[in-house]
Amino acid sequence: MTWIARNLWLIPALPLVASGLTALMSRRRRGWAAALAIGSLGISFLLALCAFAAALGQGGEHGPFREVVNFDWFQFGGQWLQLGWVLDPLTALMVVMVTLVGLLIFIFSVGYMAEDENFTRFFCFLSLFAAAMLGVVIANSLLLFFICWELVGLTSYLLIGFWYHKPSAAAAAKKAFITTRIGDLGLLLGMVWLYAESGTLLFYNGGAGCLEQGALTAMLVKGTAAGMAVSTGIGLLVFLGAVGKSGQVPLHVWLPDAMEGPTPVSALIHAATMVAAGVFLVARVYPLMAVGGGVGQGVPVTTVLTVVTWIGAATALFAASVAVAQNDIKRILAYSTVSQLGYMMMGLGVGGVAVGMFHLITHAFFKALLFLGSGSVIHGCHHEQDVRRMGGLKGFMPVTFVTYAIGMLALAGFPLVFSGFWSKDEILHAAHGWSVSHWPFYMGLAGAFLTAFYMTRQVALVFFGKYRGAEQAGGQGREQGSAGEAAHTHHSSTPSLHHSSFAPHESPSVMTGPLMVLAVFAVALGWFGTPAWPWFEAFLNGHSAEVELGKLFSGGFLGLALLSTLIVFAGLGLGWWLYGRRTRAGAEEPDVMEQARPDLWALLKNKFFVDELYEATVIRGNAWVSRACHLADRWVLGGAVQLIAWLATGVAWVDRVVDEFVINLGFDGGCRGLRESGGFFARLQQGRVQPYLRALGWGVVVLVIVLMVWRD
Amino acid sequence: MVSELSYLEILRLALPETALVITALVVLASDLLALRKDSLSVRLGFCASLAVLGCVAAGVLLVMASGAGDVGGGMFVVTPLIRLVKLGVLAMAVPALLVSAQGRFTTHAGEYVALILFAVVGMMFLVSAEDLLMVFVALEMTSLSLYVLTAFHKREVGSAEAALKYFLFGGMSAALALFGFSLLYGLTGSTNLNEMAQGVGVHASDPLLVVALIGVLAGLGFKVAVVPFHLWAPDVYQGAPTPSAALIATGSKVASFFILAKLMMVGLAGSEGSAAWGRYGSGWVLALAIAAAASMILGNLAALAQSSVKRLLAYSAIAHAGYVSLAILSNDSAGLTALLYYVFVYGLATMGAFAVVSVVEQQTGGDRLEDFTGLARRAPVLALGLLVFLLSLAGIPPLAGFFGKFYVFAAAAGAEAGLGLFWLVILGIAMSVVSLYYYLMVLKRAYVQEPGEEVAKFRVNGVATATVAILALAVVILGCFPDWILHRIATALG
Repeated sequence: MTWIARNLWLIPALPLVASGLTALMSRRRRGWAAALAIGSLGISFLLALCAFAAALGQGGEHGPFREVVNFDWFQFGGQWLQLGWVLDPLTALMVVMVTLVGLLIFIFSVGYMAEDENFTRFFCFLSLFAAAMLGVVIANSLLLFFICWELVGLTSYLLIGFWYHKPSAAAAAKKAFITTRIGDLGLLLGMVWLYAESGTLLFYNGGAGCLEQGALTAMLVKGTAAGMAVSTGIGLLVFLGAVGKSGQVPLHVWLPDAMEGPTPVSALIHAATMVAAGVFLVARVYPLMAVGGGVGQGVPVTTVLTVVTWIGAATALFAASVAVAQNDIKRILAYSTVSQLGYMMMGLGVGGVAVGMFHLITHAFFKALLFLGSGSVIHGCHHEQDVRRMGGLKGFMPVTFVTYAIGMLALAGFPLVFSGFWSKDEILHAAHGWSVSHWPFYMGLAGAFLTAFYMTRQVALVFFGKYRGAEQAGGQGREQGSAGEAAHTHHSSTPSLHHSSFAPHESPSVMTGPLMVLAVFAVALGWFGTPAWPWFEAFLNGHSAEVELGKLFSGGFLGLALLSTLIVFAGLGLGWWLYGRRTRAGAEEPDVMEQARPDLWALLKNKFFVDELYEATVIRGNAWVSRACHLADRWVLGGAVQLIAWLATGVAWVDRVVDEFVINLGFDGGCRGLRESGGFFARLQQGRVQPYLRALGWGVVVLVIVLMVWRD
Repeated sequence: MVSELSYLEILRLALPETALVITALVVLASDLLALRKDSLSVRLGFCASLAVLGCVAAGVLLVMASGAGDVGGGMFVVTPLIRLVKLGVLAMAVPALLVSAQGRFTTHAGEYVALILFAVVGMMFLVSAEDLLMVFVALEMTSLSLYVLTAFHKREVGSAEAALKYFLFGGMSAALALFGFSLLYGLTGSTNLNEMAQGVGVHASDPLLVVALIGVLAGLGFKVAVVPFHLWAPDVYQGAPTPSAALIATGSKVASFFILAKLMMVGLAGSEGSAAWGRYGSGWVLALAIAAAASMILGNLAALAQSSVKRLLAYSAIAHAGYVSLAILSNDSAGLTALLYYVFVYGLATMGAFAVVSVVEQQTGGDRLEDFTGLARRAPVLALGLLVFLLSLAGIPPLAGFFGKFYVFAAAAGAEAGLGLFWLVILGIAMSVVSLYYYLMVLKRAYVQEPGEEVAKFRVNGVATATVAILALAVVILGCFPDWILHRIATALG
């Protein structure tokens, strides 16, 4: 076993220690907090690179390279509960991605959060998040996975609500926590069921793990009451957890609201890493979901994977259409993230682990880039987030503009050069070949068109035309409450309105530096997963990749690539035609599409009224049930508790009276003489020792009598 | 018997105790001869660090020793289990010494530290004793040292009063114990616990035996503070200097509970009786069950009404003595394992709580609940430690106290056929719920209530902070990995 596999725990442990130390630090030590967080994650990054190097080129005939370390945690009954970590290509890829993206975002945050008074707390939470996320990635036990998964959820809650004094942020944090919790319940049930069936929660354990052949076969053969295999039931429950965490329909509602958090948080947690954890979960338990799906002939098809595919495809299309009609720069990106996560799920369903994971990795980089870019824009525009009030920023913020454009083209899937093209094309290609239905393929194509369209709209509104934010410069009294979109100012210091010059400005280099690094990755990563050199797929499956340029021109690929290129250009073209040709005159002017089709626009702008639907059904129903429970609790249980409390109080009172008056004072009357002789003690502050001793004597006598009575 | 004593063997077995006695003498000598002119803090610091070194040396000697030995037919017995318990006692002594180094209540640094060491030596002899005579001598050695330690706050009249009460109460208990011992000897013709047990079996229905065992119970019940032998505890905890109270509450408890269990389980085997619901039978199990039930009820309820934190801890100690007695009642190796784990983690948490109280007392001049207001602002690390200690005492998972309670209740529930002791378990659980209230009352002061105008931070000495932090860490870690100790106890039990 390699030393890095043995010491893999160090990767999450370092940020954890940093977080603990920061938590104990004084709030004023801002420099220390940032240095600790960045330093620890930097070392973790180096360790992750070592882990990656160890996993590189190690695959053998027996499948991919895999080293596990398991240890006993505690015993219950006759069984030991084991935890452990695993180093395999999947882990290696994810640790490198998480540490690298995390490191860049940490550095960016130093600039972005510079004026916040809770800078130290911010880095404490960020480090805790990084530790938990890395724990998710390396876990070799579903239980450890679940623990870290919940910690990730907790930090997400803490960071969304970082500006908790703002009611919208507090509400968004709560919403995110509760919504993902619904999914987590499924995961928990799946985990318990899995343990009941296989007797272990370890993924891999030298043949005895729950993802290895023996346990899988057993679960496939065994049926449940509904005629479904046990593996299907467990797989669906586990997938429910992924649906919650990755914002898939119908549990997607929390993710756009989560944009209330600081922008680096949105980039790290709600774009690159945590929301991808759901996708990662599906990839991790893929053997469980794919079992029984026709081994050997290409991509397996099972009930679970079919569900995954449909959910993913629906999410991809649905979220992309909502993104078209949003005006908040971060909300557009949030819906785009939901949509892209749908693509990943679809990729996992139709094409297997490599297809979905490739898009996860490329997306992590270009979406982090876009979010940080939007952060830079927001920072530059004095915390303005409404794209209608931006415009013309390419002159003010050249670096941000260029890097943002790269990210946007990668997301839109601009052909050949950008990574998004290759990873998205691979998903579409796999969807095209899916034997169950062609509809996911068409939905994916439609989603791709919409993606290109809304990103063009966003870039055109933000960077082209003339700057529209200046019209508010004079009037400070702009309403802050408009849908909670524009009120993101730091509560401590208000740098915006009294600024000498209201013009937007480029961000400092501590913020643009990470943008440039991410831009390089947004382009270059695509080259590792082309059909001509499918290194990515080969690495995950443990064989070596060969360069075959001919595959690029083979019929199946070429045709699809041309089709998707066409679609992307159509989206870009339409977007530019509607928004780029003629720029908006002012911030308050209605949108071009709104003028054309107000009804459709309203539907999209209000996100298909899903929130309202939930409000009317789930939340209202929940409120009714809770009201009923409250009444029952208050009158039935509360009454009982109250009664017991009164009883306890009564007994305590009696006891106190006994202790104070009977024991301490009760003998006073009868024992005057003794008390006078012990006048010395009476002068002491309180409590007399004679009654104490008398009580001792009585105690002995009573005990003796009791024992005598019970003597047979 | 006496003629066959091998002095070399005694020396070999009692090497850790010898090391402690030598340390105590060195501490006395160096304070009286060399440090006369130095300031009090230097003297206390030097004496305490020397004593800590001595304790560490004794601990190392204990860890390195192996095998078992018995001198004088039960006079001084050493087994792996006994060594483990001694290590537990030493583990309590070290923080007590570190806390005393912060104290400013006496000018007699050397004497104070030396007395702590003598008390610890007494506890270690107590743990090793399997003969009534030796039990009594060791008990008295411990008690006498503790009486003096209680009275050490010479400028404080409360300290003297507490010591006098402690002494009078202790004297009476010792008299009862000696009376019981003499009856036992008269009945069985032996003072060795194992030989005695055979005689006890023969005389199981003799009324004298009842009187004898109640006498023994009084003597040891006084040390562990079970009802009705508890009355000294609140006054002593409150009046004594905090480090003394901490030692009384922890190290002394570890040793006394062990010897109580040994006397009952080994020495009085054959006269257990029964405390199973509806199937009572005369014997030590019944007597202890009554004491345990009364302790759990009285300790927890009386603690509700306290306003002094040290007094509150005293009533909580009485309640905990009740829980621990449950482990003895189960009368098997599972019970003994549970008992040792419980007493050890209870000791750690109580020691930590006293360490925090000691700092608060120095800074605010009192230990009333009001003095803890806003502790989280004024000394965050101490407040966090207090949180860990009190929640562990209340038995909140994943802290060590939870597993302690769990194992004790599990042992008691599984002891008698047909869940006979289940009524005590239910009582214990119900009373644990009550206890949460008064622990949270302290924590509410520390965390929730805003301090008044004076929000000055405490000036906390680094050693005190480190002591609290290490104890808190130990409580958390032992809660997450209870097996670390349980495994050692199980191995030592064989």
